[in-house]
This record gives sequence, C-alpha cells and structure tokens, in this order.
Amino acid sequence: MQASLLFIWVSIRKVEMARKIAFSLGTLVVSILLFAEPHVARAEQAGSSPAAQTANSSSAGAVDPTKNGEVLFATSCGWCHSNGGREAGRCPKLAGSTRSDDFIINRIKNGKEGRMPAFGQTFNDAQIQNILRYIRSLQP
Amino acid sequence: MCGAASALSLQLSLHRKGGNESVPSAVGSACRLVKSNPREWFRVKMGEERMRIQSRNMAFAAALVAGTMLGTTASMAQMVDSKRLETADRDAKDWLMYHGSYKDYNYSGLGQINTSNVKNLEVAWMHFPGRTTRGMQSMPLAADGVVYYSGSYSRLFALDGATGKVLWTYFPELDDALIARQTHSPYNRGIAMGDGKIYVGTVDGRLIAVDMKTGKPVWDTKLINSQKLTVGFTGAPLFVRGKVIIGSQGGEWPVQGTIFAVDAATGKEIWSFSTTGGTEEARKTWGNDTWRVGGGGGWMPGTYDAETNTVWWGTANPSPLYDWSPNWQTDGARPGTNLYVTSVIALDPDTGKLKFYHQELPHDNWDFDSAIGELVMIDRGGKHYMVHPNKSGFIFVYDRANAKVENVWPLVHNYNFVKGIDPKTGELIGRRDFSAGPQSEPLCPAIAGGVSWNSGSYSPKTGLYYKIGNEWCITLEVVKTTPITEPQVQLNIGANFKMAPPPSGTIYGHLDARDPITGKLKWEVKFPQPPLASVLSTAGNLVFVPDARGILHAYNAETGTELWSHDDGIGHNGGIISYMAGNKQYIAVEAGFGGLVGDDYGSMFGEPWKSMPRDAGALIVYSLK
Repeated sequence: MQASLLFIWVSIRKVEMARKIAFSLGTLVVSILLFAEPHVARAEQAGSSPAAQTANSSSAGAVDPTKNGEVLFATSCGWCHSNGGREAGRCPKLAGSTRSDDFIINRIKNGKEGRMPAFGQTFNDAQIQNILRYIRSLQP
Repeated sequence: MCGAASALSLQLSLHRKGGNESVPSAVGSACRLVKSNPREWFRVKMGEERMRIQSRNMAFAAALVAGTMLGTTASMAQMVDSKRLETADRDAKDWLMYHGSYKDYNYSGLGQINTSNVKNLEVAWMHFPGRTTRGMQSMPLAADGVVYYSGSYSRLFALDGATGKVLWTYFPELDDALIARQTHSPYNRGIAMGDGKIYVGTVDGRLIAVDMKTGKPVWDTKLINSQKLTVGFTGAPLFVRGKVIIGSQGGEWPVQGTIFAVDAATGKEIWSFSTTGGTEEARKTWGNDTWRVGGGGGWMPGTYDAETNTVWWGTANPSPLYDWSPNWQTDGARPGTNLYVTSVIALDPDTGKLKFYHQELPHDNWDFDSAIGELVMIDRGGKHYMVHPNKSGFIFVYDRANAKVENVWPLVHNYNFVKGIDPKTGELIGRRDFSAGPQSEPLCPAIAGGVSWNSGSYSPKTGLYYKIGNEWCITLEVVKTTPITEPQVQLNIGANFKMAPPPSGTIYGHLDARDPITGKLKWEVKFPQPPLASVLSTAGNLVFVPDARGILHAYNAETGTELWSHDDGIGHNGGIISYMAGNKQYIAVEAGFGGLVGDDYGSMFGEPWKSMPRDAGALIVYSLK
C-alpha cells in the first residue's frame, strides 16, 4: 500500500543519488525492512510526493524536512553539538549561527581536520539540506 | 677481564629469577679457552650443542664476553618474550605492556624516587612527536633502557630512556581520506611488545608489527573494512603467548564490534570474536536481528591470566546509545539484554571461544562501557579477584575463576541511572529507562562517564586502589533514529545532550585511595576539573596524577599529602610510567590535550581550556637531580 509505494519512491531517490547503485538499493531496502519504523522511514524522504503523505504532516503530500534533519542530527551530530546544536559544548553552537548556508554545507561535507568528520560521502545533498533546515530552525 | 666477565654474569644470573648458577663459571672458563686456544674452544662448544639449555647459556656467556671485550655499555637485552611478559610484575626496571604487567596494576616497583626525595624531581628530557592532532593519548612502554611510544596517526618512536635520543621512528601511511570521515581519528592509545616486535593498531583497521630494534615493518594486516564500517582501532593491543589481540571500536556505530587475534610472527588472523553476535545464545538477546548493527567492540586492552590461560576483555556499549522504549525486553531499538556488550568476557586465547562472562549492565541504556576499565588481578585472603571499573563509576569485584560477582561498589557520588547495584549479585536496582523526548531529570553520571578510560593504579605496597572519579551529569533528549549503514556506516547516538552539573552542586573530579575489594575510602583529593590522564603508584610510596590543567602532582601514597608538582604546560590525557635506564629511575608522562571528553572543558570551565591547543603535546621525562 502506502508503505510499498514509499519503498519504491525512496529506492528511486537513492538510485538517482548513490554511486554504487545496485548495492545501495539492495542494502537500503534491507535496512528499511529491518530497522525502520514507518514514521522514521517517511522521515527519510528529502522532498514531497503524494505517496509520502503521513498523518503527522501539516501540508498536503509533504514530509517535514526539518523533522528529518532533526533525526539525522540526533543520529550523528548531537554527539558533539550539545543540546541538539542549541548550546556550545565540545563543538560550536549552531542555533543562530551567522555562518552562510554555503559555509555550513561545506563544513558538513568536508569536516575540519582533527575536529569534525566529513559527511559528504554519507549524507546526500537532500539530507544535508534537511540538516541545514533543522539548524536554521533552532532558536538562537 | 675473564674474571670480570665471570663476575658480571654472576650478577646478572642472580638478578634473573631462576638464573643458572653454573653460568658464571662457564663464562670464566670459556673466556680463558677462547683467549688461549680458539679452535679448542670451538670443539668444546660443538660437543655441548646437544644439551639445549647448556648451549643457550654458552651463547649468553659468549655475548657477555663479547660485550665486555667491546667495552660496550649497551644493555644486555634479552628478547621480550612470553616469559618476561608473564613475570613483568616482578620486573621493576621495565614497563613491558600497557598496564605495566598482566596484573594491570599501573604500578612501578622502583623506589629510587620516593617520599623523601621527590621534591628534587626535575625534567631530564623531552620528546615532541609532532602531528599531535588530538593531543597525546597513549601509554609509553620501556624495556632495557629504551622507551617506546605511539603518537597520533599510529606514529611509532623508540628513544634512549636516559637521554631521549631518537633511536628509530616508524610512521605508517594511513588512509587520510577515510580519517577525514572518522570521529575518533587519528589518535592512538598505545602499543604492545613481544617476541622482538612492537605492535600498533590503526584507525583505518590495520594491525602493524615493526622490529623492536630497527623500527622496520615486519607485517601489516588489514582486519576491518574501515572504509565501509568507519570503525578501526584506537586502543592498544595485548600480546599473549605468540598472539597479538586487539579490540575494535564499535559502540557508537551500527556494526558488530569485534576482538581479533593474529599470529605475532606472521600477522595472520587466527580468530575473531564478535561482541554482538558471537554465539547463538548472544543473538537471541537482540530482537529483530539488531545484533548485526549492535555496536560493542573492545577498544582498550584486556588482560591475560596465565594461571588459567584465560584472556579477559571488557566490551563496549551498544548502539544506539539511548533506547527510546522503556519496554526494552520486547520493544525499542534493540530489544533484549544485548549480549555481550557492556560485559567482561573471558576467552580462550588459542581459539577465541567464550569461557564465561558477566554482563555488567544488561541492555545498557547509558553508554557505560565495560571496555573502558583496567582488569586488576588481586589475591587477598586466599581468594583470587578481578577488579574492574565500569564507565558508570561502579567498580565490579569478580571471582577470577568464573566472573562470579563478589562485590560491587560505587566510586562516584552522583548517579541516577540506577538506584543501586546489588553487591552480592550485580543485579541493577531501580534502573532508569527512557521514552523518546526530553528527559525531565538530568542523567548521572554524564556520557563522559563516572570514570573515563584513564587507568587507575593498584599498589601492592599499600593495598590501595587509586582511581579518578568524575561527578557530572547530562541533560538528555532521546530521539528515535535509524541506523545508517550506506554508503558508509555512521554514528547512531540516538540523542541530543549537554554536560550539566550534578545535583550535589558543581562538576568536579576526585582521586580516591580505596580498598579495591570493599571500596572503603582511605583518602581523597578533589580536583575542580576531573583529571583525564592515567595514574601511577610506585614502591617509593608515591602516587602520580597528571591533571587536566597541565600539572603533574606527586602524593604520599599512604596519606594523600601533596609532595611535589610541576607544570607540563598543557593538559594531560594519556599515560604515565616509570622505568630504569642506566641505574637511574625515570618518570615518563605524556602531555597533550584534545580527546573527546577534554573537548568539553572549554565550555564547562573556560580558560585555560578555551585557548588550549588541541594539536600539541610532548613526552616529558623526569628524574632526580
């Protein structure tokens, strides 16, 4: 039903983005089957599609990219960027950052030697956009 | 000269336990024979070749004679083999493995520096390894007057222990592109030695052996596909009877953290043990096959009980670190107790098979690894104990035969992840589990641990265990996440959090001197910032503590009175040892800050940590004036 169409939609997005197409497709499907709750799987979408409607979204057919960014942040970023990026800790505070979008995207992709890992080969452009949206949504 | 050679060999044979008393007379007569009739000497030697022990002594004697003839002052280094390693606790002049010996005491039997003269301790020499990204986090080793240590990027150094002169270096080539994508890179926490080689792991998943005399690489084995799994090796390996054992990172990543054993001579992998899916029994404790992405690993060196031929290892936490369901037996991110993460496990070193274990924290919901702590072998009152600090700040006391819990006592004052732990059974009482969302009460201790991976020290002289406890908490928001394994494995923390003061008031650390079995406190010294470096106690009745500000302190081991201190110029986050070189005792400490926990010190405490460099460090070596 919705879940099947979702699998297909997410898979196609991954095929467009991934370098190792067949392997990524297979593993992504396996990952979703094994680990994703329907709520989280929908949150992985980077854009909108009628098939991806969820009970939680406010606008018709759209999944909240900021929410997706929030989940990604808690997966891999919150370890260093304290309190969800709201406070300075071992890493800079992100809420209210005056850095440009380009700077932040570049930093996420390339990291900083000895300080932050490079996520450019892990998160696709859409996911990085969502993380950026999440950061911008934080109250300064 | 032959008389001198004979006398010298007598001295040395008595120093070595079980020395052969016929050696000195053999040396004397061999020397005279060589001088008078070399051909005859050779015939005698050939005739004795059948008696293996005798011929070995002759070789030893010949070396002595040759050495004396050459007038060399080079130390008569016998290979650091299993025999030397297994008696390391009685070899005060060396530091042959990470914790000093398999007993994991982090203790020096040297007493030349003691309570009466430590005020005269001064810097003898220093060494700057360079490329000190993330500071200095390793434990140096010393054998026969030579100091060996690793720096960031698994760079290896051998230095003359008396002068600091560089004897050799080896810098492995690492996968820089991968390191840029890793969180913990590129520091290295230490090395092992054995059978003529130094062994070091790398963050890109390799175990490397170099010749101890020359630093030339002997073998280089890739054990983990780090390019895909992101995890590698940061911790020191352990040499056990011709094998080198090392545990991978794991914990925070959706992987199967694994312990590997390779052949020390060839580097060939012999066995591996998965800490998340190692046995059929284990897999049953992970619902939905989450053992495949369970985390675990064993990122600090374990130890070896030679009496029972058992390797003990502490395993790391599971991922995600914080589960979003309170009904974790059947629901949530990884339903079940999750064997064998956050456990102490006992393995057969020949096969890697599990002998027994104790899971310190079933369904660890707090990132309180068992990997973090030393495994201290103490015999007392006819009983054989294994004392082990868990990252929560609770100290577990086991029966060494089977890991049966004998006692559990808290080192720290601020904890609420449990109400307590039953000292008779190890059962968790009143455990705190979560639902997704912000938690109303901070979690104590913090993710940084009631104890961190810096080692404590046990002094057989005082019978006291010297260990740093940390009092801090975190505000916590648990978030439901999905493990990311494509195209490369990513961290799976499952939360946002921030360091916070404990209910008792302000964040602080304390060096405790306690009975290791009962936990009874003898004395404590408080620090406004928890020290993050290892502690050393000595037969000179001293306890050395390198603090986070950069001061190296020496305390009276019985009373805790401070007797001496010196500013090393940068915070400490590594090891400290003592060794002998040329009849003089040295204290070698690593200075350099920039580990994961230390990174929070700038925002928690301000200066000097705000402006403290994270890419500087040195090995600083002290001796008496």
